[in-house]
Amino acid sequence: MAMKYICRRLVHATLLLVAISILSFALLQLSPGDYFDAMRMNPQISAQTIDGIRSEYGLDRPFVVRYEHWLVSVLKGQLGFSIAYNSAVGPLIWVRARNTLLLTSTATLLAWFLAMPVGMWSAKKRGTWGDRACGVATSALLTVPDLLLFLCLLLLAVRTGWFPAGGMMSEGAAPLGFWSKAKDVAFHLLLPCIGLALTIVPMLVRHIRSAMIEALESPFIRAARGHGIPETRVLYRYALPVAANPLISLMGFSVGTMLSASVLVEVILSWPGLGPLLVEGIFARDVYVVIGVVMLSSGFLVAGNLLADLLLLANDPRVRVE
Amino acid sequence: MMDRPPQPLLRVQHLGKSYVQRHGVTNAKFAVPAFADVSLTVELGTTLAIVGESGAGKSSLARCLALLEKPDHGEIWFEGVNLLSLGRKALLPMRRQIQMIFQVPASALNPRLTAAEIIAEPLLIQGRVTGAQRRIRSLEAMEQVGLSREWEGKTAMEFSGGQRQRLAIARALVLEPKLLILDEALSNLDIANQEMILDLLGRLQAEHALTYIHISHDLRLVSRFADEVAVIHEGKIVEHGETVNLFADPKHAYTQELLAAMPSLESICEERFA
Amino acid sequence: MSQRHKLRAAVLLLAGIQSLILFAGFFAPYNSTAQDRQLPFAPPTRLHFFDAQRKFHARPFIYGLKSDAVNVGAYAVNTDRPFSIELFVHGAPYRIAGLFQARIHFFGVEAPGKVFLLGSDGYGRDQLSRFLYGGQISLLAGLIAAALSVCLGILLGGLAGFYGGWLDNALMRGAELFLALPWLYLLFAVRAVLPLHITQSQVFLLLVAVMGLVGWARPARLIRGVVLSAKERNFVLAARGFGASDRYLLFRHVLPQTSGVVLTQIALLIPQFVLAEVTLTFLGLGVGEPLASWGSLLSSLQQYSVLSSYWWMFLPAVLLVPLFLAYYKAADALQERFKSVSL
Repeated sequence: MAMKYICRRLVHATLLLVAISILSFALLQLSPGDYFDAMRMNPQISAQTIDGIRSEYGLDRPFVVRYEHWLVSVLKGQLGFSIAYNSAVGPLIWVRARNTLLLTSTATLLAWFLAMPVGMWSAKKRGTWGDRACGVATSALLTVPDLLLFLCLLLLAVRTGWFPAGGMMSEGAAPLGFWSKAKDVAFHLLLPCIGLALTIVPMLVRHIRSAMIEALESPFIRAARGHGIPETRVLYRYALPVAANPLISLMGFSVGTMLSASVLVEVILSWPGLGPLLVEGIFARDVYVVIGVVMLSSGFLVAGNLLADLLLLANDPRVRVE
Repeated sequence: MMDRPPQPLLRVQHLGKSYVQRHGVTNAKFAVPAFADVSLTVELGTTLAIVGESGAGKSSLARCLALLEKPDHGEIWFEGVNLLSLGRKALLPMRRQIQMIFQVPASALNPRLTAAEIIAEPLLIQGRVTGAQRRIRSLEAMEQVGLSREWEGKTAMEFSGGQRQRLAIARALVLEPKLLILDEALSNLDIANQEMILDLLGRLQAEHALTYIHISHDLRLVSRFADEVAVIHEGKIVEHGETVNLFADPKHAYTQELLAAMPSLESICEERFA
Repeated sequence: MSQRHKLRAAVLLLAGIQSLILFAGFFAPYNSTAQDRQLPFAPPTRLHFFDAQRKFHARPFIYGLKSDAVNVGAYAVNTDRPFSIELFVHGAPYRIAGLFQARIHFFGVEAPGKVFLLGSDGYGRDQLSRFLYGGQISLLAGLIAAALSVCLGILLGGLAGFYGGWLDNALMRGAELFLALPWLYLLFAVRAVLPLHITQSQVFLLLVAVMGLVGWARPARLIRGVVLSAKERNFVLAARGFGASDRYLLFRHVLPQTSGVVLTQIALLIPQFVLAEVTLTFLGLGVGEPLASWGSLLSSLQQYSVLSSYWWMFLPAVLLVPLFLAYYKAADALQERFKSVSL
């Protein structure tokens, strides 16, 4: 039963990714303008030269052919060709993707690590001044736009010098041993990680709080209390597993918002991830880079949701019984 | 001159309907039958009660009879016309003849509309009457069911349960139907309101020569107002006869069960039918 | 505060901010492009009520600035000549809603005085004026995109919910596809391939169109949910019994039930799209000169020197907070109000 469900979800996810790839490819190909627009404006370069280069890169072929080529390239792991960097897109992207994954996963962990206790405590102390103060704080944080938040963090770094103002590694760190390098990277990771985490913490706290409240109000919790089971045990062993369902879906959903926010934080705090690559690709009108990044991030999103679905399956005994 | 027996107002033959559902996890489809083989007749000016346990498909049957849902198979003959064979346009004038009153008055009325708008809605939809005339007919209908004319501007939310049911009846009457189908129309009302609505219905039946089909699970009420009773069990009509006879001498085992579950049957029979 | 009052307060606040921005020409002392190369990065002008002789003036006044001989790039206050703040002054001509020309500004000072209530940027342009004019672009983008998204959502979600079957399936699969797209990325991608030779206003329209087209999925899902439950209501069934057509049912009974969701979605989507436009322009991918949006005001902050030395350049971003707060409060109040009416 569970295997059938998993297979179905996997097929579904793959189809979704294929559909996304076609959609983004089509969107980009249909839009006028490409990498050589700037060149075209230059009267010294003849139209023939440009056309020659274009056919070299295969840009004058029909849509379906280009899509096929690109698909093959994807399967080989190369993801098309970057005209600006003059190399396959694949290697460019993997490095950046690794950095972005590092950032988003640590930020997600941090966000949940912060939000869970606050949300649970808020639910337990519902209605007290502590809970209400939390509510005000989360609302305030929600209204602050990400842009402002990241700029403030950057200002903090520049003004106080406590944090590095960007980049992933300090200069001269390359030849150092593994642990020193890791520490250096972690130090640089700190600020963007905090910034990114703060973008979703208020939403998480709100949802955790309401999920816990709903779980705590169910009759079987009252029965457990009536049996004399201590409060902490009730909270963790009884209420939390019930609240876990909506929270797991939330985790899948938060991946999407994280990815979108990560672009901004990477650009502002100069973290070498997919964000700056995307922006560069856009400025240079480097089509395959742009598509590659869009596809990869969609892939992360779909994977995140799939993971959430599978976790849901594992967590909810009712699903297994059927 | 020979007296020909009048044809029944409504004749239902072998009506059946099932619903398609999907299994929760596998998404496979399977059919749940609501009722399988219902046949009955109703004479003009009489009241037929259809009784049976909950979940026996009574509401579904009511909706099919009121032409709100399409049955899977069977025929519905109304005044000699097979309703299920008519197209949408041809069915439109027939719809005027059959109306339905629902169980929960609150859900049957759009809470955002005023009483006058609610009652006039059938006229608006059928499109034969001007705005001014609609209002006049609305007010007349309100008076007929015992609601004050002054309340025409109130929204449905501002009425009590019993008053809402009156509104629903007024709305059903405004097209001058011949057949009224009441789907557990009294079940959500308290005893006092039930009495008042029953009186109202009786009066209207006499005044307008209406025919009623009452879906109910309350045998006590049924014994009071129904001329004939049909018992539905496992998707079929298992017994159909005049109320007196059915209560006094139930033939089918299921009918006997139903009646046995009723309190003090003997006293009721004595009261009513002695 | 009661429900009604909360809603009313939020809406009033929003209306106030929107009208300030709508009449930017009147409220702003200068045009958004007026430069003053003598005064780059001037700090916000301080209003004084007491002059050098400690005399009180009922009308506030300002002092001019001159370059500080000691600190390069900094300014010292020139107390020689006070400029009082006048109301309803004649200033540079501007257009109201692109139609009527006018010259009267809400406040200003006599030349050669310059009043920079929010400071000036690298070209000596008044930030307050640019904030008000920029708001026209950013807010308009948000409004149009939100309206487009919601309209699409009503159309598609309404049809899917009402008719069900394969239409519903197809539309919901489509919605899932669009929700899986990281929409900010998609927005960037579309921006990537816009040709160089189209005008800024066309860029603006295209961006707004794409934002609106991509954002239909969430409102559509919510509206579909409402439509699904509304169409099962007995009063809809009763209307069918009177012979009502599908169109009648949709417009008279079903769609009005979605008004709560629609309004709440609009209130939530507007700040989201405004922020998207601001982010894009901030990164240099949105509208460019001569159209100034809030994003262009903030883009200079990407340079460390500006970021650390000129704190007033932050102000446009800070001013976004009360605006978003007003929208979120309105959305909350709307949700509460329609929860009680919901069926």
